[in-house]
Amino acid sequence: MTRSLNDLRPVYVVGIGWHRYQNPSETPYVALGLTAIRAALADARIEWPAVESTYVATALLGMASGRPMLRHLGATGAPLMHVENASASGSTAFRHACIEVASGISDVALAIGVDKRNPVRRAETGIGHLAEDAIVPFTHFALLTNEYAVRHNATAEDIALVAVKNHRNGAKNPNAQRQQERTLDEVLGGKRVSGSLTSLQCTPIGEGAAAVIVASEDGIRRLGIDAGRAIRTTASVGRSERVYAPGAGFDAALTKETADLALAQAKVTPGDIDIIELHDAFTVEELHYIESIGLCPEGHGVRMLKDGALDIGGQCAINPSGGLIAMGHPIGPTGIGQIGEIVMQLRGEAGARQHQGARTGLAHMVGVGAVCYVHILQN
Amino acid sequence: MQPSKLLKPELYSAGSSDGDGATARLKGGRCRCGYVFFPMQTYGCERCGSHGDALTPYELSTNGTLLAEATVHLHADKNRPAPFTIVKVALDDGPVIRTLLADDSARVAPGQRVTGRLVPTTQSESGETVLDLRFSAAS
Ligand SMILES: [Zn+2]
Repeated sequence: MTRSLNDLRPVYVVGIGWHRYQNPSETPYVALGLTAIRAALADARIEWPAVESTYVATALLGMASGRPMLRHLGATGAPLMHVENASASGSTAFRHACIEVASGISDVALAIGVDKRNPVRRAETGIGHLAEDAIVPFTHFALLTNEYAVRHNATAEDIALVAVKNHRNGAKNPNAQRQQERTLDEVLGGKRVSGSLTSLQCTPIGEGAAAVIVASEDGIRRLGIDAGRAIRTTASVGRSERVYAPGAGFDAALTKETADLALAQAKVTPGDIDIIELHDAFTVEELHYIESIGLCPEGHGVRMLKDGALDIGGQCAINPSGGLIAMGHPIGPTGIGQIGEIVMQLRGEAGARQHQGARTGLAHMVGVGAVCYVHILQN
Repeated sequence: MQPSKLLKPELYSAGSSDGDGATARLKGGRCRCGYVFFPMQTYGCERCGSHGDALTPYELSTNGTLLAEATVHLHADKNRPAPFTIVKVALDDGPVIRTLLADDSARVAPGQRVTGRLVPTTQSESGETVLDLRFSAAS
């Protein structure tokens, strides 16, 4: 019989750290990654030799980028592996670090995401296409925006409100790439990208790094880590796209089946979730995914947004970090940064962004392909 | 009439011609399990995993219903100068495809009937007119 993560021994996030997400710069990825790892070690109050295994999430750095970075922490000989899973690379690295600790193979593992903005290269499949070269991600989501707007009678202004909220959250996050509040007029008046999407409704691809350290109860005891600041991972699920009914949006359908499994694994309902970090690379995605996760019926997302239910301090804070739209989306780090934000919130250490009384947080990522990852953390 | 050739003959074939270009048939495939897909391939069925002889060519009509449209204002690839409009079409024969709207099409909106035609795009080096598939509002 197979088991889920929550059936294995408990695994906790004990350290979090970032290098701020930022516009492309001359800073080498090694410096970005080391900054995040050293911050996570300091947060956990442990030394590098305590880390027994490392998962390096990166989509755009090319082959074997981990060791030239990790050696500067002191070469301990501990195993390392690289994880590439498109936008979900960081979430996937976190899942496997959790599995390694929960299984008992290691007591302490690190997931580090680091990336620079490099060209995306995808291999030819040998199957032709009509015009896929003309359909980049923002156009994929511009098409979904058009479908959502028509099906649910939502206006371009309604959907753009997602960006107003997430820029407001990002303005309070020192690790965010975009730290500026924006009015609805500013969001709608920006450069038009595709369909009704404007540039402030699209993630700014940049660079940065995020790190989390996970540990078992044995590891926490042995290393004298503060158990009061440790946050347990109570669900981890990864899925990939299936064949859905013609015309059904695979992004939403895949999110629904992945989130349903994670909620069941953690034995919680959508109403129990206090904060969600989700893949809002484009505004319409936030509406699709909160509906897929089950916060509200399909088509009711705009109502919740307008009522303030999705704000910090509302019914369920969505993307308190600023999300991919404001905090940014450096690819490899993104899913790990989401975990860091949730841990900060559940510890009550999120400062100006704190969602009061947060006990349960959910992290959601999709990656082209398509894959989907959902984690639930609880204190 | 000047000689012409198809830009992607592995994906579609030409039917009868009229003043608006030629009608087109899409080169789809059908699995033994009943799953219809586009384009034709023999690697294996996405629904059931059958491959080889289980997958056979299956011509698809270009008639369908528009699911979504988006006019692209920014596009990095110089071979596709913006603006252009992408349409997502549910074909009457099953598959959902995404491709370009014809420059001379009337405006389209979700729910509307659309159809594909082969229209002149560029000239080949040997002087032939190159035809490619574009969708437009059904007349
Ligand atoms: Zn089949």
